[in-house]
Amino acid sequence: MADSLSPECTPLKHKYDSCFNEWFEGYLEPAIAASATQPEREAYSRQKAAEFETKCGKIWKEYKTCVHDSLKQKGLDPLIQQAREENPLKEPPAGQSTPSDRV
Amino acid sequence: MKFYTQSFIYDDPWSIVSLAYFLRYPNPYASHIISCDVISRTQTPSGTLLTTRLILKRGALPRWAPKGIISRSESWVVEESEVDPMGRTVRCTTKNLEFTKVMQVEESVFLHQNDEGKTMQISEARIRSRFGWGLTKRIETFGMNRFKTHVQRSRDGISLILGMLRQSRLQTLGGPAPYSPMYFAPGKIRAKCSNPPSRINSRYYAEVRRMWP
Repeated sequence: MADSLSPECTPLKHKYDSCFNEWFEGYLEPAIAASATQPEREAYSRQKAAEFETKCGKIWKEYKTCVHDSLKQKGLDPLIQQAREENPLKEPPAGQSTPSDRV
Repeated sequence: MKFYTQSFIYDDPWSIVSLAYFLRYPNPYASHIISCDVISRTQTPSGTLLTTRLILKRGALPRWAPKGIISRSESWVVEESEVDPMGRTVRCTTKNLEFTKVMQVEESVFLHQNDEGKTMQISEARIRSRFGWGLTKRIETFGMNRFKTHVQRSRDGISLILGMLRQSRLQTLGGPAPYSPMYFAPGKIRAKCSNPPSRINSRYYAEVRRMWP
């Protein structure tokens, strides 16, 4: 696991990474049929989100707070904000359709 | 502006390749990565996962680079990704945050499971310099060549992580079934197999560290 940009956040990051990776491995193999209806998929997604919140929600909040404080101290906020406003993920790249419905 | 695209097929299924993709730092082929942080991560109502990571890279400047333009050789890169487990796709773009006038590198990676159960990776890069001073073309060519080398190294890094994931799954036979979310989960492994708790987790990372140059 790579380190955090701020040494004091690294232990929190490693804890968060372990928790997330475990959840993520299951998330990547959805226990739901490919033929499932939209409401079924949404219910499943809500269940996965709730599972994450229960298992990793607390450590995620601690880690996120630590990183965001460090970003402020380093003055990186505006740069990131600017980059994210140009977020290329808002629209799918030309020629590639996205299988799931966008929100 | 220069544009480059390349595709590649991994023999493994999409879920393990995608896991390896997100676990790719650290690896010995990416020793230029200093830090990697998740700054935002949300699950959309449709079930996809949006992640923003902030990565600090160490990068060597070419010898002919004008002195004093870029004061240090570290740079911030922002990575935005969307994982769709139902559609079996990952879309990911990265771009540099600073020195964008000198050179803006925008890279996109698309991972998708094909009909044979293998994983297709399409990488694209757009490299643009607005530097002027007769150096624009040279900078773009430099960026392009560096990117081509980077694509190969990045794939080597992912393949290495893939190999370790495969091995750690094999070693837990008799424990959790392959492709179950048991790995990287010290507490659960204790309950399920005879290996000491954090063995798999720490063995995996110890292996990564051992190979670290």
